[in-house]
Amino acid sequence: MAKKKLMTHLVAGYPTLEESEKIALAMVSGGSAYLEIQFPFSDPIADGPLIQGACTEAISSGFTQDQGFSLIERLAEKTDVPLFIMTYANLVMAMGIQSFVQRSKDSGAAGLIIPDLPYDYDEGLYKICSEMNMPVIPVLVQGIADDRLDKILKLEPEYIYAAIRKGITGQKSSIDKSTIDFLDKISRSGIKVLAGFGIRERDQVNLLSPHIHSSVIGSALVEIIKNSIESEEDCSENVRKFVLDLSGSC
Amino acid sequence: MEVYNDYFGQFGGRYVAENLRGPLDQLEIHFRNAMSDSDFLKEISDFGKEYIGRPTPLLFAENASRAMGGGDIYIKLEGLANTGAHKINNAAGQAILAKKMGKTRIIAETGAGQHGVATAAVCARLGLKCRIYMGSEDIKRQRPNVFLMEMFGAEVFPVDSGSRTLKDAVNEALRDWASTSDETHYLIGSALGPSPYPDMVREFQSVIGKEVLMEGEKRSLNVKAMVACVGGGSNAIGFFEPFIENETPRLIGAEAGGLGPEEGKHAARMTGKGKTGIIQGYKSKFLYDKDGQIVKTHSISAGLDYPGIGPQLAYLGTTGRVEFTEVNDEEALEALRFFALNEGIIFALESAHAGAAGLKIASEYSPGEAVIINMSGRGDKDIFITAKALQKDKWFEFLNEETANG
Repeated sequence: MAKKKLMTHLVAGYPTLEESEKIALAMVSGGSAYLEIQFPFSDPIADGPLIQGACTEAISSGFTQDQGFSLIERLAEKTDVPLFIMTYANLVMAMGIQSFVQRSKDSGAAGLIIPDLPYDYDEGLYKICSEMNMPVIPVLVQGIADDRLDKILKLEPEYIYAAIRKGITGQKSSIDKSTIDFLDKISRSGIKVLAGFGIRERDQVNLLSPHIHSSVIGSALVEIIKNSIESEEDCSENVRKFVLDLSGSC
Repeated sequence: MEVYNDYFGQFGGRYVAENLRGPLDQLEIHFRNAMSDSDFLKEISDFGKEYIGRPTPLLFAENASRAMGGGDIYIKLEGLANTGAHKINNAAGQAILAKKMGKTRIIAETGAGQHGVATAAVCARLGLKCRIYMGSEDIKRQRPNVFLMEMFGAEVFPVDSGSRTLKDAVNEALRDWASTSDETHYLIGSALGPSPYPDMVREFQSVIGKEVLMEGEKRSLNVKAMVACVGGGSNAIGFFEPFIENETPRLIGAEAGGLGPEEGKHAARMTGKGKTGIIQGYKSKFLYDKDGQIVKTHSISAGLDYPGIGPQLAYLGTTGRVEFTEVNDEEALEALRFFALNEGIIFALESAHAGAAGLKIASEYSPGEAVIINMSGRGDKDIFITAKALQKDKWFEFLNEETANG
């Protein structure tokens, strides 16, 4: 079976900065096509309890944005896999949008995912990013109003992140015809669709892959890391095996 | 002012991920329609009279005024509203709107528990299912309010994420709403969050200010200043509402100075320490560190212990229409004692911050000039905190006795 494209998610600084770098590289060696690297924020309202828990731990063990950017820099030297920074508006605001985008670019990031800066409440993010040639990846949700979807498609982003279940990350999604129709509609526009929220099994990846550019694996990986820590197993190795299995690289 | 504004200067907005966008867009439409629907407005007004106990009195605090020797101190006794605080005005307005929208389930966040109690009570009255999100730390500190919410049939859902307090309860409620909005209304308790909440909460709380305006005119008061405490700011914005677009009277917001100016010891966002940010769906002034992470806050009053402030108040603070001042824990307790002794009134700890600020302001005026303090809540709920602070030994003796007998 052909290899499936995956975007895998990790929280920078979780469980530690060094470990998160190893985990990122393990994802790449397991066959990830993209890495979504979340800079932890104290109040991540679009994430579920698992990811919030990881963010809280990373912050309390001293995560800083400087560390986040240096992680991106080191990873960019070690892999060609595109690195997307995911975070929340206040981290961007605290640094200033211009500086945040500049530092993302300097460190080698390939795009930004900021779910609480949608295109019509974006504080100028889309314009600044377009001027600085840094892709912004809009996050859509299944059930979005048609006029909003059309407006986002008209922006012609290179990628769109499509959440296929209403609500927040962390529970298994069921994929039905309406999901497939939604994904097909975006894919037809020629925009690369990254589809996620609740993907944790190979069946789901297989079902989605003809309709999208890449599946996104988030909470399932955070859970593996958490469980590995608790059972004192090798996080990176468990992550690598899981990604390998989902991507069909093995 | 306009019923719906979205932005107040640069503050406000609807900074949410797409999963919350649909529900908020829907809510905006229903809210705007309802505010021009005379049946809806009448239902709210009747509910206020029959169930909440409106209008609440405006008391001339004659003894307090004499003791201070400055302006005439008046107290809006909002704490006499059913369930003990102004919170119920907004809970009733939103719950009636939710019912009109065909929703059958209400969720809400609560910190100290006042908003939770008000929401649970209104839901019992209106026959709506109710779940209250509350940080597990707050549940420990506020057991009496948890008991009341459960009496009203609400489910109190403990939140174990983050700092396990109010802001985390907000996050959890938003998550619930993102996947249940078809049948559920999220009833936010303060004039903050993504639009249309700041507008909606102000409108439902503006009954406080409207009553003050009417009563002031009836008694021909020469009102110089109005003082309210500000956590998220729902009592303040409702109390100020009819006066915002005028140049007088002075409008003064009292924030929690806590234990002092060091980070983590207070919750004062408008007196120089807050920075413009975007958190929990709205742009306003927040207490956060250089990296953008929310910092810890402290106040003796749980209702003021919050890192953000409603966007309209943030705006009115930057234009200077609302003046902000800090009142520390000790000053709030002192005001609590002062009004108890002189007027026979027990302020809620939140409102005691307004009381303390009001006493200071009144000293700048003379008899015949009125300063109106909003007592947003009454202090019965605080007995476990105030008795411990003011009569520690006797109180502990009582608690030990109770435990031993239990």
